[in-house]
Amino acid sequence: MKHTHIHTHLLSCSEIYTHLCENLDAKIDSEECRRIKAHIAECENCTALLDSLKKTVYLYRKYPTPKVPAAARTDLFAVIRLEQKKGKKRPSR
Amino acid sequence: MKELPTTPTDAALIARIKKGDERAFTLLVRRYEQTVWGFAYKLCRDKEKAEESFQDTFVNVYRKLGQFDGRSKFSTWLYTIVANNCLMKRRRRKLEDLLESYDEAPDTDDPSVHDQLASWDDTPAERLLQGELKETLDEAIRKLPDDYRIVFVLRDLEQRTAEETAAITGLSVPAVKSRLRRSRIFLREQLHGFMKA
Ligand SMILES: [Zn+2]
Repeated sequence: MKHTHIHTHLLSCSEIYTHLCENLDAKIDSEECRRIKAHIAECENCTALLDSLKKTVYLYRKYPTPKVPAAARTDLFAVIRLEQKKGKKRPSR
Repeated sequence: MKELPTTPTDAALIARIKKGDERAFTLLVRRYEQTVWGFAYKLCRDKEKAEESFQDTFVNVYRKLGQFDGRSKFSTWLYTIVANNCLMKRRRRKLEDLLESYDEAPDTDDPSVHDQLASWDDTPAERLLQGELKETLDEAIRKLPDDYRIVFVLRDLEQRTAEETAAITGLSVPAVKSRLRRSRIFLREQLHGFMKA
């Protein structure tokens, strides 16, 4: 890893680590954020780690969620009708 | 069925339900069924459990609607009920120590760590989503302790804010953040076997 700027405080990979895992697409524009981005831009390892974390989340997001099964809805409304009947017999507190 | 010219707000529907309008409850269910189902499914990763949770959630909503005071968003309240329903059924697992160890950065000078990271680069996500990877995704997320899994699903999949996630789970915002961070690293590690053929 080569760091070329002399007068900015240089962050180490482990200082970056926590932020890396927290803000995958940080759009915050703070001084600290700029320093983190500068480190990542120059550091192969942090770039790779960040990419793999993004890919993990991406895979989970891409995983298709099934639609509500019609039977589940039918069952639900049957149970609710029962509840509604009960509620009419003895008014809820 | 006569529809109102404009779509009633959640608050309007809830007010009607509280007055005994049963049709309003049906409308509320239809409005949120996919949210509830999707969230339950993502948490449980099991169709039967998700169905059970789906039903329990709306029955609970029906019973407890009187307690909903309208100070929080209805969806926040709904997520809380699903979470409680889905998660109470599961026993806690002792993975906490391992997850806490993820607060330390990996040693990237170690060549095996370096190779491991490089392999993620060469594997296209679309190809991974076919076949066994889905099972691995399910298995990995099921291993997470409840309060970790729920934070990951709410933040990264449902894309709720840290603040709303904290409200739903009863965790503090910093606790939400650390759980999210550790969950991501844990899941990444679990998926690692799939990278690079
Ligand atoms: Zn680095």
